[in-house]
Amino acid sequence: MKYVELHACSAFSFLEGASRPEDLAARAAELRLPAMALLDRDGVYGAPRFHLIAKTAGIRAHVGAEISVEGFGNRAGFQPWMPNPPAPRPVRLALLAKNRAGYQNLCRLITRYKLREKEKGTGTAARKEIAEHAKGLVCLTGGEEGPLTASLANGGEEQARKSVEELVALFGKKNVYVELQRHFDPLEEHRNQAAIRIAETLRLPLLATNGVRYAYTHEREILDVFTCLRNYCKLDTAGRLLERNDERHLRSADEMAQLFSDLPQAITNTAELSARLNYSLADLGYEFPRYPVDADETMDSFLRKRTEEGFRNRYAPKNDADLYARAERQVQRELALIEKLHLAGYFLIVWDIIRFCREQNILVQGRGSAANSAVCYSLGITAVDPVGMELLFERFLSEERGEWPDIDLDLPSGDQREKAIQYVYQRYGRLGAAMTANVITYRGRSAAREVGKVLGFDQEMTDQLSTLVNSGEWRSPADNLGNQFQQAGFDLDHPRVRKYWELCERIQDLPRHLGQHSGGMVICEGQLDSVVPLEPATMPGRVVVQWDKEDCADMGIIKVDLLGLGMMAVLEDCLELIPQHYGAPIDLAQLPADDLLTYETMRRADTVGMFQIESRAQMSSLPRNAPAKFYDLVVQVAIIRPGPIVGKMMHPYMRRRQGREPVSYAHPSLEPILKRTLGVPLFQEQLLRMAMVAANFSGGEAEDLRRAMGFKRSERRMKEIEVRLRQGMTQNGIRAETQEEIITQISSFARYGFPESHAASFALIAYASAYLKVHYLAAFTAALLNNQPMGFYSAATIVKDAQRHGLRVKPVNILHSEWPCTIEMARDKKGNESQCLRIGFRFVRGLRQTAAEAMIRERQKQIFAGIDDLAHRVPELQKSELVTLGEIGALNPLGETIHRRTALWQVARATRPAGPLLDGIPEQLEILPLQPMTDEERLVADYHGSGMTAGPHPMSYCRTRLAKMNVKRACDLAHTPDGQYTRVAGCVIARQRPGTAKGFVFLSLEDETGIANIILNPDFYEENRLIINREKFLRVEGILQNQDNVISIKASRVAPVSITAAETESHDYH
Amino acid sequence: MPFACLFVPDFPIQAIVRLEPELRGKPVTVFAGAPPLTKVFAANDAARKLGVTASMTKMQAEAFIGIEWRWRSLSQEATAQAALFDCAWTISPRVEDGRWNKEEELPDTVVLDIAGCEKLFGSPEKIARDLERVARSAGLEANVAAAGNLSAAICAAHGFPGVAVIPAGEESRWIGSLSLEALRIPLEFVGTLKRWGIYTCAQFAALPEVAVVERLGQEGRRWQRLAQGCGERPLIAKDFPDEFEECMELESPVELLESLLFILNRLLEQIYARLRMHVLATNEIKVTLTLQKEDARKKDALLHIRTLRLPVATKEGKFLLKLLQLDLEAHPPSAPVTAVRIAAIPTTARSRQLGLFLPLSPDPARLEITLARIQSAVGEGRVGSPALLDTHRPNAFMQNRFELREMTLQHAAAERTATAAMRLYRPPLPASMEFQKEKLFCLSCEGVRRQVLAFAGPWRTKGDWWSETSWARDEWDVEIPALRPKFQPTPEEIRQEETALYRIYKDLRTKRWFVEGIYD
Repeated sequence: MKYVELHACSAFSFLEGASRPEDLAARAAELRLPAMALLDRDGVYGAPRFHLIAKTAGIRAHVGAEISVEGFGNRAGFQPWMPNPPAPRPVRLALLAKNRAGYQNLCRLITRYKLREKEKGTGTAARKEIAEHAKGLVCLTGGEEGPLTASLANGGEEQARKSVEELVALFGKKNVYVELQRHFDPLEEHRNQAAIRIAETLRLPLLATNGVRYAYTHEREILDVFTCLRNYCKLDTAGRLLERNDERHLRSADEMAQLFSDLPQAITNTAELSARLNYSLADLGYEFPRYPVDADETMDSFLRKRTEEGFRNRYAPKNDADLYARAERQVQRELALIEKLHLAGYFLIVWDIIRFCREQNILVQGRGSAANSAVCYSLGITAVDPVGMELLFERFLSEERGEWPDIDLDLPSGDQREKAIQYVYQRYGRLGAAMTANVITYRGRSAAREVGKVLGFDQEMTDQLSTLVNSGEWRSPADNLGNQFQQAGFDLDHPRVRKYWELCERIQDLPRHLGQHSGGMVICEGQLDSVVPLEPATMPGRVVVQWDKEDCADMGIIKVDLLGLGMMAVLEDCLELIPQHYGAPIDLAQLPADDLLTYETMRRADTVGMFQIESRAQMSSLPRNAPAKFYDLVVQVAIIRPGPIVGKMMHPYMRRRQGREPVSYAHPSLEPILKRTLGVPLFQEQLLRMAMVAANFSGGEAEDLRRAMGFKRSERRMKEIEVRLRQGMTQNGIRAETQEEIITQISSFARYGFPESHAASFALIAYASAYLKVHYLAAFTAALLNNQPMGFYSAATIVKDAQRHGLRVKPVNILHSEWPCTIEMARDKKGNESQCLRIGFRFVRGLRQTAAEAMIRERQKQIFAGIDDLAHRVPELQKSELVTLGEIGALNPLGETIHRRTALWQVARATRPAGPLLDGIPEQLEILPLQPMTDEERLVADYHGSGMTAGPHPMSYCRTRLAKMNVKRACDLAHTPDGQYTRVAGCVIARQRPGTAKGFVFLSLEDETGIANIILNPDFYEENRLIINREKFLRVEGILQNQDNVISIKASRVAPVSITAAETESHDYH
Repeated sequence: MPFACLFVPDFPIQAIVRLEPELRGKPVTVFAGAPPLTKVFAANDAARKLGVTASMTKMQAEAFIGIEWRWRSLSQEATAQAALFDCAWTISPRVEDGRWNKEEELPDTVVLDIAGCEKLFGSPEKIARDLERVARSAGLEANVAAAGNLSAAICAAHGFPGVAVIPAGEESRWIGSLSLEALRIPLEFVGTLKRWGIYTCAQFAALPEVAVVERLGQEGRRWQRLAQGCGERPLIAKDFPDEFEECMELESPVELLESLLFILNRLLEQIYARLRMHVLATNEIKVTLTLQKEDARKKDALLHIRTLRLPVATKEGKFLLKLLQLDLEAHPPSAPVTAVRIAAIPTTARSRQLGLFLPLSPDPARLEITLARIQSAVGEGRVGSPALLDTHRPNAFMQNRFELREMTLQHAAAERTATAAMRLYRPPLPASMEFQKEKLFCLSCEGVRRQVLAFAGPWRTKGDWWSETSWARDEWDVEIPALRPKFQPTPEEIRQEETALYRIYKDLRTKRWFVEGIYD
């Protein structure tokens, strides 16, 4: 007997299902079910994944959803005589899509009530809306969440009959099935008997389902945990909110037939209904919108005109006839392909967004594979010349692949990006464009915290555990969850702790809730809500589709990524600050291409704050790579990536770059491809070209190869492609060992490799950031600080670095600071006027922007006469805010004799209402009883109140003492011979354990002269883990290594050093 | 020199060590919290030196070698406090609990008024040394301080180890040398003061008073007075304990209940006489009978403790005596009694105006006696009102104490639906089941075998999978010829074969079958 499970929920019912759709589909295939339907709560969130896995597993995936409805009463609760009745929840209708119209109706219906909901998950469909969208849908009477159960409980059998009649009126007689579920529950069986009688009287077919909530019996435990999370309770107190047993798993046809042996028609009807459900997600009906053009134009002709205009503007000034001709050929080739693939609309829409950004003075740059396209370059979408750089177009678009191209646009993070996003909404309508979703899944920390809560562990213990989980990329064999439990002080022999641990492992990767992707937007011709349901995002004015970026791509929905990039915001801020404070405006497109000072600074690895080249690993490779021109920077950006490092490409490249190793090629045919990177493949484009040249792959096939080896790698596909690679290479007469070498090169970094176009786009920004830092330090530092948090270093480190480069940094000042950091002109000791940086109020911990702005407004009206006056005139400032301002010395300018303690003393009085009688009476006391702060106290106050100090570096206070201990300064290390046993000390500003470094840990110690780099081998780290991770200031001893001006100390001793109690920050394991 | 203070550092540890002197000098840690949420609650100096800190988990603390650990015992802390009070009462009748914040602080401080005690016990220094000695003999290593005022004495006891006697007029200097923490003032205040660069009591004391009031309010002034070694607060003597206790050491052990009741009656009369003086009643009586030890080497006394909690407060000694009699009949002491202690928790007497038209409810006192009689007949924990528990677990209910509700006029009840009732066998009857074609066929129970005529099920429940009390079972409702014949069957019933509906179940963990009950 054939059975089809037609009522299953996955974990995409968010806390009401316990298995991923992929696992349900795989289990269904294992049980040899010919088809299965996924009906998640109020959405089709899991449908794409279910569809894809079902397709590969050879089962039909039906689409449907459980829809919350009003007008059918609330879900049947527990018996009134039982304690702790649950909160009322609306009834849910189980609907299945029969055809595309049905699917579209389902999506529209969900969108309708979802967009209306004020609180997430509370929307319900009105009866009228159901009637409007009933066409093409089949309705099941449901299990315990359904209307039949609810009306039976609330009004008895007669009421139940009426509600089923109502469903028949809404969906039509042929489209209503009376659902029966059997979970060994007497109450449920009682309901089933009533349902059978109702079905008989109304002549409706019976349908057996198992109301599936998980694939396997043991997953009931996960569902119980989710139930507790949903109801904010613990397992011990959840009582009958939990599952009665573990019977809601997927069952085989035999099991179901046995369970319904008295009602065989209920089983046979499942196969019959399945045969009626002709819809699958393969028939999505998605169409990308058309760009509106004049009547005498087509989109293709319009695109051609815009491209040709841009092409001339881009290439004519280069005065290179050969390049012009090559570029022209490339543009024509691309335009022909775009026309053939009907993609003109897509390019025009992206061009339109770019045009809008330019008009609004929003800095924008396309990146990713779009930078491989000459059309994109001509249209101004990207800034990298793909023809000049000989980038591979097929990486972007290929006829064979049949996929939509993917264009990412980098925008300044914050308001400017929001403007661009809102423009897209406004242009295509609220139902025509939406953000893609971001499915937030349970990861180590969230799992540890939430499972712990449910099992009754207190917050302190779960917090302790969650801080141990997921620290850093590197996972040593000892870094498993079990060890982390033990480190947090849990006894794994205790059954409950063991269960905690086990559940944490099992819950990983299950969806937790739906977030919003940072920038992915999907746009649709017609109504997007008939393709996928839309929901309101948490941010006002935004809607989000129910599928994430990958699902949208899998379903062939085209997307444009409008990504916020902190450094773009920094560059934009610089463009505003530089003309104001340096006199002349600058144009990022016209920066001097080969600025000597900029490259020299980069070669010195003096790159704190620069985009992409500021990390410790980048700093270690910069002196070796010694960039001297733009392409060197492209390589530099790409080389410190897992791909080249894991593929062991980095060191050969560096050796060849330094002339220590001859440049050679695995095969002469590869020379033109690998020449620029000295015979070492570093970019994805090179990988594709290698496959094309060595094994005669077409462009599309080569891109297929990259994808096969990419994130969703499948062993089978990789093997197939490897066979084809070998065949091709054999045809080309490449020897077996060379074949092996090429295949290793291709496969080792296909997964992580960086596209050259992407690296080039990033390198442009990296160069701009380096140029601005070198030539406009004050503006760059101000902009960088105003866009924190971003990048690799804390604000304190950025400030200290700027000070070391000669920038005067002034502390927060109640009379001069603004909310952001600003630039002031000041005379130095020699009397020269220069720019200096004023720290803004945004760095005062706990100070609200509204209060700071109120204070600035009041300050503009009249200067504050004193602290009393400030507290009186700016009531928005709370006591704690004034205390912090006083503590960091920001209130000192309010009187000639005021120091920090005076300020605190006066704040304490000014913020304590003395009552109407005494208010306004000045303080009688003339002598201040408090002592000024010592240097140490000032440091502690600065770091506590603003996370940084504009005064001397903490290490400078102890230098004499440290010098006696033979501790060298960071700046002395460059003059210390290689191999000398050296002792350094400093404030830990970064701890890193890269996934590619085999467990080595890297520390950065900052002192008043610079940053010292420390290398810790894995064993040494494990021995000293506590000191290394806990102490803020460390003294490290070991052999100094100076290789090609890359200086580091290989630690053999590490000890805490007492410098200050200030709360300095370190950027760790990110 | 009118005040002295006793302060016991590491009080939770000392409360334990005083009963286990062999732990003295060893690193000791006290845990609190139910496993697996157990954490270090307190650690003594030796343990702290090894690295143990408060709020470490039990597992982390146990990783330190050589540390003795014990569970926190509130009762031991209470008795330690009582002992501390006793120490103080040996010198002065005017004794007070010396905590500022009684809810948050440990009961580790006792302060006493020693004004006028010089003539009896000697100089303040001698009194302080005596107090230290007495405390040590009670097993407590206490700091003792004597000062001219109560607050200074408390601060000094908290701040100075051992014995500290502050000469008159020197309070300010002595207290000034202490850190702010010795004042035990709220952390928020300490934070503010430290921000001002004030770290010691002397620095705090030196601040201008008006300025302090302007900034920290009257509370700040109060704390500053403390730092100045001034005390304004008078000692509020502990006038009477929270419970009324009477005890009697018996010259010879008593074996017979009648004799014991005679003694109990006398003690109860005394307690009630005292209660009546304060116009109080009691609703809880705790009787502690010290039993004759079989092994004289045992240090701890063998106690037989019975506690009676009453739903209503009473002043009736006779009624209580009757209850005690019933209770002791049900729970007789296992050995002859050598001492008797009765403690009564005082409460206000109950007064109630009965409604003229309300039906007469049973007298609460008589009802209580009736319940006690039933309990002595059926066993403890078997009398009460059942209340359902919120769980799928079969038969899950708890027994609440039976309480008589206030009688009110009741209107005719709404329509009631008839429901089937089931009588449960307690414990369930072990059974075995035979199957035919995978269906229930024959049930064997109590030596009889019955064919299953009809059945419904299985109904499956599984739960508490995260704990050691997990359960899993399948239930069936079966119709079988009755297992037990009716007591007085009618002639018609004798002619017909008598069948009955039973609830049976299989425990899925032990794979055993049971008959759980019969439907009426």
